[in-house]
Amino acid sequence: MKTKWTWAAAAVAATSMMANAQAGTLEGVKSKGKLSCGVSTGLAGFSQKDEKGGWSGLDVDVCRAVAAAVLGDANKVTYKPLTAKERFTALQSGEIDMLSRNTTWTHTRDTSLGLNFAGTIYYDGAGFMVKKELGVKSATELDGANACIQAGTSTELAIADYFRENKMKYKAVTFDTSDQTRSGFESGRCDFLVSDQSQLYALRIGLKNPAASVVLPEVISKEPLGPVVRQGDDAWFNVVKWSVNAMIEGEYQGVTSANADGMRANGKPGQKRLLGSEGDLGNKLGLSDKWAYNIIKQVGNYSESFERNVGQGSPLKISRGLNAQWSDGGILYSPAMR
Amino acid sequence: MNKLQTFTPSPARPAPENTVGPAVWLKNNLFSTPLDTVATLLLGYILLTILPGVIDWLFLSANWTGDSQDACVNDGACWVFVSAWSQQFFYGSYPTDELWRVNLSIAMLVVIIAASYQFEKGVREKIIIPLFLLLPVISIAILDGSYLGLERVSTDLWGGFSLNVLLAAASIIVAFPLGFIWALGRRSHMPFARSISIILIEFFRGVPVLALFFMGSVMLPLFFPEGTSVDKLVRVWIVLILFMAGYMAEVFRGGFNAIPQGQYEAADSLGLSYWQKTVLIILPQVIKVSMPNILATFVMLFKNTTFLLIIGIFEMLSTTQTALSNSRWLGGHAEEGYIFVAVVFWTVCFSMSMIATNIERKLNTDHQ
Repeated sequence: MKTKWTWAAAAVAATSMMANAQAGTLEGVKSKGKLSCGVSTGLAGFSQKDEKGGWSGLDVDVCRAVAAAVLGDANKVTYKPLTAKERFTALQSGEIDMLSRNTTWTHTRDTSLGLNFAGTIYYDGAGFMVKKELGVKSATELDGANACIQAGTSTELAIADYFRENKMKYKAVTFDTSDQTRSGFESGRCDFLVSDQSQLYALRIGLKNPAASVVLPEVISKEPLGPVVRQGDDAWFNVVKWSVNAMIEGEYQGVTSANADGMRANGKPGQKRLLGSEGDLGNKLGLSDKWAYNIIKQVGNYSESFERNVGQGSPLKISRGLNAQWSDGGILYSPAMR
Repeated sequence: MNKLQTFTPSPARPAPENTVGPAVWLKNNLFSTPLDTVATLLLGYILLTILPGVIDWLFLSANWTGDSQDACVNDGACWVFVSAWSQQFFYGSYPTDELWRVNLSIAMLVVIIAASYQFEKGVREKIIIPLFLLLPVISIAILDGSYLGLERVSTDLWGGFSLNVLLAAASIIVAFPLGFIWALGRRSHMPFARSISIILIEFFRGVPVLALFFMGSVMLPLFFPEGTSVDKLVRVWIVLILFMAGYMAEVFRGGFNAIPQGQYEAADSLGLSYWQKTVLIILPQVIKVSMPNILATFVMLFKNTTFLLIIGIFEMLSTTQTALSNSRWLGGHAEEGYIFVAVVFWTVCFSMSMIATNIERKLNTDHQ
């Protein structure tokens, strides 16, 4: 903990010196012709490398969306794989233009690191996985059980809070990596496994017999994940924020990569405004009129990206849950696109 | 008349029955005492229970062909994982059309190492050593490409085992002379040179290499002036060089201490200058004496390059972890991946120690 604060203090000191000088990321990206985007070194469904060296995932799609909006080409991205410790420094020092690395939006990070969170791309939260044979239907039945936890994650705090609140006891069995946590669970060292929901599904696939385990419905912490930019560069902040919103609004308006061309020509007024054949939304961001059209045409709307990377079209098969549109019972809501 | 008799030795008689043959070997080596017998039986039992399962998993019921996880239908190891990711494991994301550049760099390294065996001492000193020192520069120019008019490949695409090898080689080549200079500085009578050398050596030897990597990747960028970003790989390279130089300096110091004082005095009495004395008389002897330690330090540095995984550089081990986190390969292939990495590293490290033994034998000019 102590070292963490030392880093944070050093980071704050350094950023306060740079905050003013760092304006103009948008111009910088345009003149470089490439977006430098910080991603994770490998997280199933969010930012992952394939055998050919290509990147894909929900976080990666945010990078691609911003590149499509700013440069007109979703492929003009340089991915900078970062570890959890490096990610904020890389952003503060200007090594990357934006960070899209399953980063939880917290008060502390938003206010004390000289950074701004530009929206939420995935509402995550810690959850439980148990063996089916235990017959547990809800987390409230887990009193006195052993928990497999990955050490050093925010999940540790979340589960401690949750069990104290509900006046239950548990015994923590901690592991160093998620792989070890999974094998601990599999070999029966513990009764249930705690991790972020998005990771639970990935861990579950890795089990020898995935069908023998279930993910419980309870979500015990808030982990909204989203892209991060440097504080003090509002033009760039707007671009990233509205690129995410364009994906969400695209789904809400029913615009997909397949029908974007048709809707741009003769869709409803809202669709035309989004796609840039009416109004001048792009101009106000300092982008071309086709900014959102490029995002949806090249990357897809939120639903397409979600299903392709973590949803039914992927091995993870995560259901939309909280990440559905507000009109479908979720909490995804883009501010008005006008 | 006496006939000249030729001596025909009678053929050697076979060794006594009770000293040759497999049965005797077994008795002498495995069952010579009751304790030996018990140990042999116990170990034999353990091997017999474990080995069949291991061999079965590794080879007999392993999956060898295919290009996706679905091809792994048998119970054994899924080597498909390793073969599908092999390009990533060895070359990282380096563009497929440009792989010859990586191969060329490694080939140059191998050729120069082999050449330093083959050629005469004169050639070695005049040609091979300068080539060695130029090698990092040439390799970087080839791999990056922009100086030679080739397509530029930025360093975040470099990776895999070739990065481990080239980075280790480039660090060793620069650290070798640097470490020697630090060691000289430490022995120097000039207070300034002496204290600077001691501080550098003790700092880079006393701080764990992981902490140095973190400083290079997390802290250094904050101190650079606005707009100048030094490539992450270059920062790491510098860290590796300094770390290695600290260790080499101490290895050389051991070598210096082993040279008899008479050698220095002899050189002085011949009227050689400080540098003539150092380069012509002392250095060759120091290298000869310290060779085992130098090579051990090389092997250590080579293995240390896997630590780069903690700062997100895709060397071989971190590529393996990335591959394991791909959603289409989540079926638990950690064993296959790590075994493969272990085998590759062991092969190279073992070859290095074979070469080391060979060099030591060659350098051994003691009267025997």
